[in-house]
Amino acid sequence: MNQFKAKKIIAIQAYVTFFVLLHTGTCAWASDASDLSSNPQTDVIFKTDGPASGAENDAWDDEENWDDEWEEGETIADPLEPLNRFFFHFNDKLYYWVLKPVTRAYSAIVPEDIQISVRNFFDNLRSPTRAVNSLFQGQVHDSSVEVARFVLNSTVGIFGLGDFAKDVLDLRSTREDTGQTLGFYGAGGGFYINWPFLGPSNFRDSLGMVGDAYLNPIIFLDTSNEVIVGMWTFEKVNQTALTLGDYELFTETALDPYTAVKDAYQQYRNGLIKE
Amino acid sequence: MRKQSKQLSRCWVFLIMLLVVLLSGERILASSNDDPLVQLQKSIEEILVILQSEELKTPEKKDERKQLVLNVVNRMFDFRAMARSSLGQSWSSLTTEEQDRFVGLFASLIEQRYIGKIDAYNNQKVIYKDQRVRDNKARVYTAIIDKDLEIPIDYSLEKGQGKWLIRDLRIENVSLIANYRRDFNSIMRKEQFVGLVEKITEQLEKSEM
Repeated sequence: MNQFKAKKIIAIQAYVTFFVLLHTGTCAWASDASDLSSNPQTDVIFKTDGPASGAENDAWDDEENWDDEWEEGETIADPLEPLNRFFFHFNDKLYYWVLKPVTRAYSAIVPEDIQISVRNFFDNLRSPTRAVNSLFQGQVHDSSVEVARFVLNSTVGIFGLGDFAKDVLDLRSTREDTGQTLGFYGAGGGFYINWPFLGPSNFRDSLGMVGDAYLNPIIFLDTSNEVIVGMWTFEKVNQTALTLGDYELFTETALDPYTAVKDAYQQYRNGLIKE
Repeated sequence: MRKQSKQLSRCWVFLIMLLVVLLSGERILASSNDDPLVQLQKSIEEILVILQSEELKTPEKKDERKQLVLNVVNRMFDFRAMARSSLGQSWSSLTTEEQDRFVGLFASLIEQRYIGKIDAYNNQKVIYKDQRVRDNKARVYTAIIDKDLEIPIDYSLEKGQGKWLIRDLRIENVSLIANYRRDFNSIMRKEQFVGLVEKITEQLEKSEM
């Protein structure tokens, strides 16, 4: 077991060194990788190396989106709809009866600055996930930025509580995850899944969540499942505290909240994959 | 001779400066009239001034504050175009009276969402990033800085009668119109237009209570 762990740590060190070196290099891979997008529907836009300037971002304005008023949009397969709806209501009740009261109490005790630090802490733990997935998508520069962010924020940023990399060096995070990498290589979302506790997802992104879990440094802690569930709950409460009211406003101004959430999830994920 | 050339060069400098001032002045004027970003920014700043006004924050002024914001909001959106596009193909199957009725209901739904955000306002800042104009259509890229987090909001606008009006907005890539279209269509398919009107009316009554 220890040997296994040590190997992993060496692998990570090698990876970190590799990317800190690469950070200064050019980004030739990204353009090569554009051949990979064989699926015309995914319409992946490659970010060029370096800071995005207005002129270079012409790739954003994807032609089809200018005149999409009559477009119906791809429908989302939902063979599990009755079950999904059941868990949607379950999560909804969980939100109003448990999560919201707990969050209210939490907000009353914990000031907003601390809440932001907590969010930074959990966000920092996802840096390895983002670094690996940026790399898998051929975005070498973004990947190296994530590595640099992780190294800096875990040390100078004190366990990721502060976002030194962004505030001081303007190194901004991307939001890559394993689900997006699968999407990048042409995997469609598959059918819609509304998980109890976890909320909206689909087949592809559920597989992605498993991948993300293995890339989260928490697994190196070798702790029990209870601790992991506890940490996840804590993060969820903290996140809810920072966005209190958003869920209500969205679901209460939709006619069929289930359909609205399902569609919003798909649009949100497609947007991230295109980025 | 030397004096004359000195005067001449002074004259040139003056002329160039005048030209620069005139040209840049013209550009400033042109941008303030035509730029979708500038127009949008003006309206948003107007709303922010209302929201930040300490005087209007008192509970007695709550309705006044709401009305002031709505006045601006109503000038910013092209509700008819938004309503049509949110119904998609079903729009053309409606009679003119039904269409008019739907536009009114739709506008109230959008207002409801906006009003909900008013109470949540807590000195968030808006940044204006970029704009893209093609003929009479435009995209304006903005973001809200909320608790140290940047939330991208992109506006689609269309020019009508010399004014840029909002036709859609995307928050974190989620289009408001596309989302409503999916929502409305799922109801239209089962309960037709009558059912849709009933649902929206119910929805609006719920928030008034």
